[in-house]
Amino acid sequence: MDSKIITIKEAITDLLHDGEVLYLGGFLQHEPYAAVHEIIRQKKKGLTVSKCAGMIALDQLIGAGCVDKVISTYIWNPLPKPAHALRRCIEKGIPHKIEMEEYSILSLTLAYFAGALDLPFVAAKTLLGSDFPQHSSFLGENKMKIIESPFNGEKVCLIPPLKHDLGIIHVQRADSFGNAQTWGIMGDSKYGINSCSKVIICAEEIVSTEVIKRDPNRTIIPGFKVNAVVKEPWGGHPSYISGYYDIDWRHFSFYDKATQTLDGFENYLREWVYGVKDRNEYINKIGKDKLDELRPKSWNSNPVDYGYCSKFQGDYLL
Amino acid sequence: MKYCEDYTPIEMMIISGSREIEDGQVLIVGTQWPIIATLFAKKTHAPNAMICYEGGVVLDSIPDRIPLFTGDPCITSNSVLLNDSLDTLGMILHGGHPDLAFLPAANVDKYGNINTTCFGDYSKPKYRLGGSGGACDFGSLAKRVITMLEHERQRFPERVDFITTPGYLNGGNSRQEAGLRCDTGPHAVITTLGVFRFDNNTREMYLDTYYPKGSIKEIKEGFQWDIKISDNVKVADPPTQEEIRVLREEIDPFGMYLKNNKAKAIPCL
Repeated sequence: MDSKIITIKEAITDLLHDGEVLYLGGFLQHEPYAAVHEIIRQKKKGLTVSKCAGMIALDQLIGAGCVDKVISTYIWNPLPKPAHALRRCIEKGIPHKIEMEEYSILSLTLAYFAGALDLPFVAAKTLLGSDFPQHSSFLGENKMKIIESPFNGEKVCLIPPLKHDLGIIHVQRADSFGNAQTWGIMGDSKYGINSCSKVIICAEEIVSTEVIKRDPNRTIIPGFKVNAVVKEPWGGHPSYISGYYDIDWRHFSFYDKATQTLDGFENYLREWVYGVKDRNEYINKIGKDKLDELRPKSWNSNPVDYGYCSKFQGDYLL
Repeated sequence: MKYCEDYTPIEMMIISGSREIEDGQVLIVGTQWPIIATLFAKKTHAPNAMICYEGGVVLDSIPDRIPLFTGDPCITSNSVLLNDSLDTLGMILHGGHPDLAFLPAANVDKYGNINTTCFGDYSKPKYRLGGSGGACDFGSLAKRVITMLEHERQRFPERVDFITTPGYLNGGNSRQEAGLRCDTGPHAVITTLGVFRFDNNTREMYLDTYYPKGSIKEIKEGFQWDIKISDNVKVADPPTQEEIRVLREEIDPFGMYLKNNKAKAIPCL
């Protein structure tokens, strides 16, 4: 098998095209900022971005004008503070109007699950009674449907499958073929990334397939579904990667203050996105001392044992 | 037992929230005030409570630093289950296991409907808020939902602009008619002024208990409708000195919730 390792610049150039439907993984943690900043630098347009738990990565894409449509459950800065670019966009149409399709976390995760399994729909007892069913935008009547269950007559919400042209997740480690392993709070990531036609894995570390095979329970997507693997240490900053670095509250707080005005937001992009050519320049700009403060104390698990009996037992079956 | 005199309305709200919890219960917990109220309960009278967060966490112990949101990395090394949202919102919440759900809110209305989506018309909002997250799932599926928020008149409209999280909708049987399970729904709204519950028939919110430093007059002014007062309205016990010490020194020693206005970021315009 050939290695799929390329740079994020190559991956975004080759695999993401204007107007496509993009899934971004990362549920409070593991947000793929390295990829998001490259999408902004390449000035991608007209994207539909699907992100279950939207933090400032989605705020940045919206403010940068890359997005026409959003599928999400919430978008905020986890301080907690408002996502200022989202507010400017929805309240004032800056930089341009977008359409939003909103769900709850359970219903959107189930929509990704249905997409990943190619199910016709899933049925659940959420969203009923809320104002979400009557406020659909670009999905129209296909956002969800409320019917009576053919089994017990109760009202249920039918949630359609959501599929994506391209998905990007940031994980702890992957091999060069795209077998990707992650741990920590997983949210929607496994279902989201498995509902994508093309997949980019960004990883803190590239490891050998032998390392993957010593703990295969941690693999969230098999390499055969993956198109590109990008080695991107600190690629999730300012969010966190369990075992690698903690959340950078200083940067979230800085972003909150810096982006309250449109000028401030544009300055932020000029300085932290357009002003650096890649993630390496970004992390140099953050500075080694500040990054060192974010390195966590180690919290190793005891190794698990995947052993089996090597004695041949086929004789008993013959 | 010595009562404390020098406590804040926020501290009283947090302790009132914690008093809803019995030991050994399973809790599904939203961000902001619910985080600190449930950890305080666990530290004091409910050490065996299990705390579930939407991203896929089941906690059995108190993290060594206070989580600032339900995805805080300090949570991961104190959890007994760490997986994904189909575990906690799916197999735990949709599966019917939590005894109580705790939520923050921007607005709550007469029937306990919660808005965290927008102020004004949805298509042209005056103020766009973050959105549901898992809140709609909590409110749709949990047996008893407890909402915690600062008591400001703007936060209590007669009808919310957008139902992010269904309460009793239009009162009466309307929640069941919408298809939500009959044993689910709002149980209490806990604010910096008092504890509010819901009439079993009309499903309208009423004042159940107010705090020693407050008054019914002040509470009535805190609503945009004429809030009903229980015939048996009670006055809560103030916090004990020990409760306040635990809250300030052990749960939130840096004042991330108790002092810092960061925690008050969910606006009420």
